[in-house]
Amino acid sequence: MSPISKKAWPALVDRATLALAALAGLFLLFLVGLVFVAVLLRYVAQSPILGINEIVQLVAVAIVMLALPWCTDRNGHVRADVFDRAIGRAGRFSGDLFSRCFSTFVLSVLVYRSWLKLLDAREFEDVTNMLSLPIWPFYGMMVAGMGLCVFVLVLQIAVILMTGEEMK
Amino acid sequence: SELKFANFMPPANPYQAGAFEPFAEKLAAATNNEITVHIYAGGELGPGPVEQFSRAVDGVADFAVGLPGYTASQFPVTLLTELPGVIDEETGTEVIWKNIALFKPEFKRAVLVSLWSNADNVLYTREKPVRTPDDVKGLKIRVPSRNAGLLVEAWGATPVSMPVPEIYNALQTGVIDGALIDGTGTKAFKLGEVSKYLTVGFDTTISPFFIVMNRDSFASLNDEQKAAIEEIGKEISVTANAVQLAAAHKGIDAFAEMDGKQVIRLSDEEAAAFNALADEARAKAIEEATASGIAAGDVVSALQAQ
Amino acid sequence: MTDLTLGVLAFVALFGLMIFRTPVAFAMLIVGYFGMALQGGFRTAGAVLVTETYSSVTNYSLIVVPMFVLLGNVASAAGFSRGLYDAAYAWVGRFRGGLASASVLGCAAFSAVSGSSVATAVTIGKVALPEMRRLGYADGLSTGSIAAGGTLGFLIPPSTGFVLYAILTEESIGRLFMAGILPGLLMTALFMAAVWLTVLRKPEAGRPGDPMAFSDRLRILSAALPLIAVMVLSIGGIYAGVFTPVEASAIGAGLVILIALATGALTLKTFTGAVLETVQTSAMLYMIVIGANVLNPLLAVTKLPVAFSDLLTVLGFGPYGTLFLILMCYVVLGMFLDGLAMLVITLPIFFPIVLQQGFDPIWFGVVAVIVIEMGMITPPVGLNVFVIRSVARDVPMATIFKGVAPFLLAMILCLLLIICFPQIALLLPNSMFG
Ligand code: NA
Ligand code: NA
Repeated sequence: MSPISKKAWPALVDRATLALAALAGLFLLFLVGLVFVAVLLRYVAQSPILGINEIVQLVAVAIVMLALPWCTDRNGHVRADVFDRAIGRAGRFSGDLFSRCFSTFVLSVLVYRSWLKLLDAREFEDVTNMLSLPIWPFYGMMVAGMGLCVFVLVLQIAVILMTGEEMK
Repeated sequence: SELKFANFMPPANPYQAGAFEPFAEKLAAATNNEITVHIYAGGELGPGPVEQFSRAVDGVADFAVGLPGYTASQFPVTLLTELPGVIDEETGTEVIWKNIALFKPEFKRAVLVSLWSNADNVLYTREKPVRTPDDVKGLKIRVPSRNAGLLVEAWGATPVSMPVPEIYNALQTGVIDGALIDGTGTKAFKLGEVSKYLTVGFDTTISPFFIVMNRDSFASLNDEQKAAIEEIGKEISVTANAVQLAAAHKGIDAFAEMDGKQVIRLSDEEAAAFNALADEARAKAIEEATASGIAAGDVVSALQAQ
Repeated sequence: MTDLTLGVLAFVALFGLMIFRTPVAFAMLIVGYFGMALQGGFRTAGAVLVTETYSSVTNYSLIVVPMFVLLGNVASAAGFSRGLYDAAYAWVGRFRGGLASASVLGCAAFSAVSGSSVATAVTIGKVALPEMRRLGYADGLSTGSIAAGGTLGFLIPPSTGFVLYAILTEESIGRLFMAGILPGLLMTALFMAAVWLTVLRKPEAGRPGDPMAFSDRLRILSAALPLIAVMVLSIGGIYAGVFTPVEASAIGAGLVILIALATGALTLKTFTGAVLETVQTSAMLYMIVIGANVLNPLLAVTKLPVAFSDLLTVLGFGPYGTLFLILMCYVVLGMFLDGLAMLVITLPIFFPIVLQQGFDPIWFGVVAVIVIEMGMITPPVGLNVFVIRSVARDVPMATIFKGVAPFLLAMILCLLLIICFPQIALLLPNSMFG
């Protein structure tokens, strides 16, 4: 089982997904700081930050969606590899290929439906309860993150087909 | 065919046996078993109250039960019913249905089946007995909706928003000093364990509930079946309100019976001090809603006229 | 096709996809989507997909995952894990098998900042394995103690296992964390007993380390104090009711970062690495939650959980017989499946049954987590064993699996004790919340 050849893999994808993951990291640090300060404010200044849960939820979407393409690019998703030897080379090859095809399809549906939700949320001007943050950007981030994830998967399919190699 | 009914509440919640199962039974009986409803309780079709309206709109479920307060921006008119001093818990549902045409348009992404007013929200406090607006000043109080937030602000307290399941820990840890929720909180969310006082008898918000149906699912029915759903939906609104009122009153009584706990029932005089502030909050909410282009004053007058 | 057939087919498809190398999260997404499409049409399936994804990522409580993972990763990158191991070594290293005991203790201590078993095993493994090999410890004992010790990462709070359990069952994260503390300490003690028994039988397997002066021991312990203080503050803060779990995770992560920066223990490079590692792990875990939440409605509409629980009622084994069956399922599944995946796939089916049999949901969380941990060190797929193998490349897998055997027995004993005395798990959460 050789890892996918570095030459066949566009370095640009690595860099782009890494940049997004770094952004996700910054958001995470921001969130740590925010909740940290909120706790201090509650105990020291006796004044809780109102609606902080809505900020946390919004930023969480950003963190997950920005990190997802990077995680997918690095094959960071948990999988059971116990049967790898038993299913043989052909099994591994087709498994890699078809699992990505199915995943691509389902994630594409997800991107499309998220897009519809985005339009819907804009049309009806849906906002969060306390801070009145608009909802549609949440869906926008889902469209972007899952969309990039689809892009990474499609590239992986192309590489598998071109090189006939199995993924890590 | 069998229709899916999404109930995010646990199967033991009084609504399940008291309102939702009767809804399914009546519908089956009225349509000669052409429409059967399977109730998925405990959030089996998707957890939590927040996304329930979405689930019916998008078709995860054919029916969904939820609270407009969780997605307040979608239901500005319906939520006028929850303002203090607009309807009361005994007759509220009836009043809502006399004016149902006012609210239906807000549910147009789905089909409104049932809509009922809840029991009055009451105030659970962790340590401080609340009898006057001065007692409540500066306390951090969990509120179920934006309108409840206005009320709490008018009292001089600080509103805090959080999902219902987190109230217990937050009260226990002192993240909040009190919580505004209906009397079922004593049992359903064990708030009796983490609060010493329960104040009732003032004008507060009354969070409404809805049952909605997916539009395509509704459209696929024949006229007779549609009529049955409309009629039974209305009937169940009244039933559900009665179920909730009974449970809430039981919750308040249960609180009173717990060791070292006290229910503070405000006298008319004591309540008046709060109600004057509540009137301010209502006026402010109406003003805000009017500013956003809703004939809020007319709606409230229509509801109060009943 | 009946609903039940669909349910069974869904499971067949799920395992098929996983055998053919589909990541667990995607397997659940795929089966959930297509299953729902078969049952209720593509409109419903698409709706489930988008609604559950949205409600999973906007789940407020789930944010403890990235924050606690960050806490552990930063502690590891800053070398604080080394300090923990050194402190453990200073106090128990001079006994026979002392380095292995120190590894177990080090794992237990690091578990209190790390939510993951794998991270715990790797972190302590990197520090402790070279030391044990230097002193000529038997490979089985050295690798086994760390592979097993790592599983404490899930039991001692914070724990991603408990977070997932809480999210899927709508139980309180705080209560589950508290419930894990005493069983975690008990398990640590039993692991150390396992070490002791092993060297009693084979004294050559682990000779004592060099003795150390009392003052040195205090000095080394005090060097580890800042991190211990963070642990006590963040987890203790939940117990004392000072913070919610979300707040505790932010306080813990924030403090560790501040300490690491103040002591110059972090470079920009190691810090960036820790943060990137964290967001990658978080994305992976969130995807599993999304997958589980997309799969759950399908399981519900196939009425498989109901059928399964009816079957158990008909069989009439009583509560403990049923519990035994469920635990056996976990042991068998745990041989092959990743622990978290196992949890998310089985809970919708098992959890209602367990409640119905009158067991405490918090207690079952502890029991489930222990059985899942057992799966992490049983052959053929033992995640922690694989991870240790990546640190000790020349040790054959079979040696590690043999090495964990005494610890596996310790886990079974621990499990039995918790089943016989549920108070071990429930004492702290109940005293905390009255
Ligand atoms: Na841990
Ligand atoms: Na295993």
